[in-house]
Amino acid sequence: MARHETAGSLAVERPGTGRRLRVMRRRRDALMLAAPLVLFLGLWLGFPFLTNLVYSVSQVNFETLRAPSFIGLDNYARAIQDPAFWGAMGFSLRFAVAATLAQVLLGLVIALALRPLLVRHKALMALILLPLMISPALIGVMYRLILNEFVGVVPQYLAMVGLYPNLLGPDWVFATVVAIEVLQWTPFAILLLFTALQSIPTELYDAARVDGAGPWQCFWRITLPLLVPGLAITGFVRFIDSFRVFDHIFVLTGGGPGSLTTSVSIYIYRSFFQQQQLGSAVATSMVLLVLSLAALYASMRLMLRKGEA
Amino acid sequence: MRRQRGRLGWAMRWVLFALVVLVFNLPIIMTVVTALKPTAVINAAPPQWLFVPTLDHFVTVLTDRAVDFPLYLFNSTVIALGGTLLALVLSIPAAYAIARYGIGKRTLLPLVANLRAIPLVIFAIPFYLMYQVMGLLDTRTGLIIIACIINLPVALLFAVGMIQDLPIEIEEAARVDGAGTLTVLWRIVVPLAQPMILALAILSFIYAWNEFLFGLILTTRDAVPVTVGATFFTTSWGVRWGPIAAAATLSVLPPMVLGLLCYRYLGRALTAGAIKG
Repeated sequence: MARHETAGSLAVERPGTGRRLRVMRRRRDALMLAAPLVLFLGLWLGFPFLTNLVYSVSQVNFETLRAPSFIGLDNYARAIQDPAFWGAMGFSLRFAVAATLAQVLLGLVIALALRPLLVRHKALMALILLPLMISPALIGVMYRLILNEFVGVVPQYLAMVGLYPNLLGPDWVFATVVAIEVLQWTPFAILLLFTALQSIPTELYDAARVDGAGPWQCFWRITLPLLVPGLAITGFVRFIDSFRVFDHIFVLTGGGPGSLTTSVSIYIYRSFFQQQQLGSAVATSMVLLVLSLAALYASMRLMLRKGEA
Repeated sequence: MRRQRGRLGWAMRWVLFALVVLVFNLPIIMTVVTALKPTAVINAAPPQWLFVPTLDHFVTVLTDRAVDFPLYLFNSTVIALGGTLLALVLSIPAAYAIARYGIGKRTLLPLVANLRAIPLVIFAIPFYLMYQVMGLLDTRTGLIIIACIINLPVALLFAVGMIQDLPIEIEEAARVDGAGTLTVLWRIVVPLAQPMILALAILSFIYAWNEFLFGLILTTRDAVPVTVGATFFTTSWGVRWGPIAAAATLSVLPPMVLGLLCYRYLGRALTAGAIKG
């Protein structure tokens, strides 16, 4: 509410000549400030959205782009009935859940363990955040090097202890792509959870210690409950990004072997370039859009309700 | 006794820290090391850690005729700078309207914020078709627009929070002196928020530089960014790991150097972007 008051205060003028005029002028100024962004979004998001909408109910290919013929909801029916689409959805969900859980858990442990060190030497955080600055596509290239059976360090050292797992083969590939995601993005979880930890007032711990609480009790009764919002935000942000994963998997496996690592993003990318029928590829995009927005809306409601309680 | 335990605790924290940094940064460490190794050493098994470093692979990457790597570096620089600038120019005024007048708070802000959560591949197909019609395929301009769209959610959320945190009194005083809205924004808000804007610009630059999906779909030759260009090396050069590693090293250098120099700003921007999102 406080924000509304500050928002209003600029519009409040001393009573006198032209007060209403001035308020109107302020309003006009504000609209003009927002206008470029609105126009930009209208053009670059509104237009693609309309294109998607029209093509999703049309028979269309690269030759008939300007003359799509209406065929109703057939594309949607085909998109929803395609087992490959649900296979890709399943992969993205399993990938995002596994990667998010691992990132939050690992991030929490590391943030707790390294907290005193990071408080004392603030610059050390820079070294932890380094992976966040690397493009996931280049991370994919780098792991091609590291995991290569002839020159990669990981297979070479595993071979020295008598292990020869094919880390990109059917048995290991899921664990490998999840591990790569976790190793790149856990630093983000560390940063967020470290910040959340720092915002817990130290008086709480002092008071608990006076009352005779040990470190375990302090953790379960103070740290963890107060960290719940931080953990929820970290998990939410990481889940969103992990769910739409494309770059490192595409570079590393191309979605294979078979379709074992085909995420939804890779599936849509492929359906666009490998099919003549654009309509069903676009319909799939629209289904994904609706599902994403529904999931987003549901999780927002959930988080807001939890926040109020 | 207690002091000894304290010292042991610190030693263990340092060990854990070293381990964490080493494991998380293994890809970049190995890539740089490989890029500096002579070809014979790269292929040696078990891995050799002692060797005379060479810059040959970097020379190869920068002078190869089949793959125009300097052009890719130039493209990425232009795209990242352009996309960042465009995102700032669009989002800061809009954020001012949202923060100070409440205009767009209920529609524009949530709409843009939700963009962050949507798989962007949804727009890949229409963008390809639109760009084909508009002649924007394989142009830097086309990718600048994409870079801007990618950065808008974080930029707008961050800028709204940033302006809300500024003291409103100075703006009011300027208004009493007869300053218009644009003057207030340009002469007061922007200078006051300069460190925050810098943080936002760095984050946007890194995000834009690292973009891959749209670069892959929308470019073929002239506007290829390094993220896509580096993967060309992997496919067209097969097992020439030295040049591949050198290309990857050159591609990550700009965002990494920028991030390391300004990690404090970056940490702040990352946290703020996430929490307000």
